[in-house]
Amino acid sequence: MNAILHAQQLTKHYPGSIALDRVDFTANAGESIAIIGPSGSGKTTLLHCLAGILRPDAGSITLNTPSAPLRLDTLGDAALSRLRREEFGFVFQQGMLLPELTAVENVALALMLNGTDRATSESRGAEWLGALSLAGMEQRRLGELSGGQVQRVAIARAQVTGARVVFADEPTGALDSATSNEVLDVLLRSVAANGRTLLVVTHDPNVAARCQRVVELRDGRIVADSGSALAAPVQPAPATTNFKGAFNV
Amino acid sequence: MSSLSMALRLTPYLARSSGSSLRETGLRDAGLPVLAFGTVTALLLTVAGGSQVFWSWSDDIAGTYQALAVVAMVLLIIPLLTLGASAARLAARRRDDRLASLRLLGADSATVVWMTVIESTVLAAVGALAGAGLYACAAPFLGLIQFRGQAIAGHAWLSVPSILGCILAVCVLAAASAALGLRKVVVTPLGVRTRQTADGAHWVRGLIAAVVVVIGVVAMGMLSSFGAFIVIIAVMGGCFGLALLALNLMGPWILRLRASSQLKRAKRPEQLLAARTVLESPKESWRQVGGVAMTSFVGVFVGVGMSVADTMGPGATDETALLVRDINTGVMITLLGSFLMVACSAGVNQAAAVLDRASTLVALDRVGMPRKLMVAARVKAVMSPLVLVAGISAAAAAVLVLPLTGTVLLTQPVVFLTIGGVFAAGFLLVRLAIAAGTAQIGQVLARPERYASMDS
Repeated sequence: MNAILHAQQLTKHYPGSIALDRVDFTANAGESIAIIGPSGSGKTTLLHCLAGILRPDAGSITLNTPSAPLRLDTLGDAALSRLRREEFGFVFQQGMLLPELTAVENVALALMLNGTDRATSESRGAEWLGALSLAGMEQRRLGELSGGQVQRVAIARAQVTGARVVFADEPTGALDSATSNEVLDVLLRSVAANGRTLLVVTHDPNVAARCQRVVELRDGRIVADSGSALAAPVQPAPATTNFKGAFNV
Repeated sequence: MSSLSMALRLTPYLARSSGSSLRETGLRDAGLPVLAFGTVTALLLTVAGGSQVFWSWSDDIAGTYQALAVVAMVLLIIPLLTLGASAARLAARRRDDRLASLRLLGADSATVVWMTVIESTVLAAVGALAGAGLYACAAPFLGLIQFRGQAIAGHAWLSVPSILGCILAVCVLAAASAALGLRKVVVTPLGVRTRQTADGAHWVRGLIAAVVVVIGVVAMGMLSSFGAFIVIIAVMGGCFGLALLALNLMGPWILRLRASSQLKRAKRPEQLLAARTVLESPKESWRQVGGVAMTSFVGVFVGVGMSVADTMGPGATDETALLVRDINTGVMITLLGSFLMVACSAGVNQAAAVLDRASTLVALDRVGMPRKLMVAARVKAVMSPLVLVAGISAAAAAVLVLPLTGTVLLTQPVVFLTIGGVFAAGFLLVRLAIAAGTAQIGQVLARPERYASMDS
């Protein structure tokens, strides 16, 4: 498999504690990886460092792009913001969408930030929403959607730009178990169908069990890594949910 | 146990446990409400102090001065209520976790309302005391202002009972605003959220406003038939009040129309966000810029007043000339106070909005939205309605005074210079205040871990 994201000797301190202690980590293209561990083990810090949100105190992070490898730890704030817009997608626990915008506008905004015109952005946003079973809800405000539907909008926003790596931080943490399964299903299928890499921080063993690879952290170190062996292969998407065919990504 | 007595017992516990969070989140917790109420009180005491000289007179013309002083006070009431409501909502949001936990433990809705009202009132009292201190510093300078050819001097100082009365009034208004502000917030055992209600910026508002303007125009057209100067002043004051009422009725409706049109034409992200922000609550947008609309309205009156003074020339009596000069002085002081109030309101509202949405801003930063775009959207969401309402209010004032001034308005360049100066100063002050408010975005994004886990 081709490495898309590679971290070496990643170290991050917080006052009075060490969040990451010389972590080596590689994510391969198309993998779904669950990062698990107890609270304070450093899993969210690892996710934030890999996504260019946090700067490590030491070590390097390399993103392999089609043109050339990029060292995230050496980029400035503006370059990192651009990288996050163009290469990465994010799904947070609470969705973190803009409540004043409609569902389709929230998705389209990600494309508009990259310079795509509004009509095209909204058209592609609507396609994504349709593929995630939100057809007919494009013009609804977030307050008019359920928690699971809001997370679907967030999943669409994370991938509409063609992001090659999707980062998810407890994406089902605020949902009931039935909705959680449903949202996780949508996330895994859409990511797999488009050949994207998924890194998901979770406390939920069910979420971890659905990912191809599980990495466990404890006290800022990786203590277990199931490698690239498939812990639970992602089921192929049913014919009615043709994520890949629906989008030009 | 009644809701009030339970609230009285619980509030000190919450206040005590918030000691560390007060230090941690400073501005969000208490600084903004205290700043808002402090400014309101200082301006209120300054205006009250400055105008009390008018009540020391008892001659024929004293009534005119007293009526104008009341108009000046009225101009400050609406921004005062706006600031109070913002502070109250801020107070509820900053307590969201604790209030929700109390609901979970069985506290009823009334207890939570009482607790927020008590807290807002305490913050208002602290702010009002600070504002009184500010007034004490300003009073010596206030005493240098001249009316009827003499400095008001010692009249600038309010008596202690009057100052205490003003502080009490601010606290009462804060409590009322808190109770009203909480109507927009639902505190449930699962958290605090903003109540989603349809914003009633209906076209009927425009219709009522048009009728009010017509009544005003007719009354102004009949001014010469009223005879006595004092009656003319009273009718002008009444028309002024009607125009303000019309502006307040029409404002949210016009903002909604304009934002809808901007939404359709929006091409860039900041245009989309700004239009949606206004559409989210046209009334809220109006409350932020409504003060400047009134100030612009007054600005046109000032320009016209000066042109009228010019035409009086040597034929005017000393007393009338003095009155005209004093009206100009009074209006300029009111303008200054009004601008300061509006700027403070815009700054506090923006800072509160940034802090209220801190977690979403952190999330947007993480997904790569440039900071300057976040600021641009907020600036556009305020400045665009501001320019619109200032233009409309100036036009409304011009329509009202045109029958009185006729061609004077068109032939005196000083009129346009004054109006232009008033508008430019207003825009600049509000723009600076927005810049100060949105500076919070930088502070929020500099310490995202503080806000990342909070619900927006």
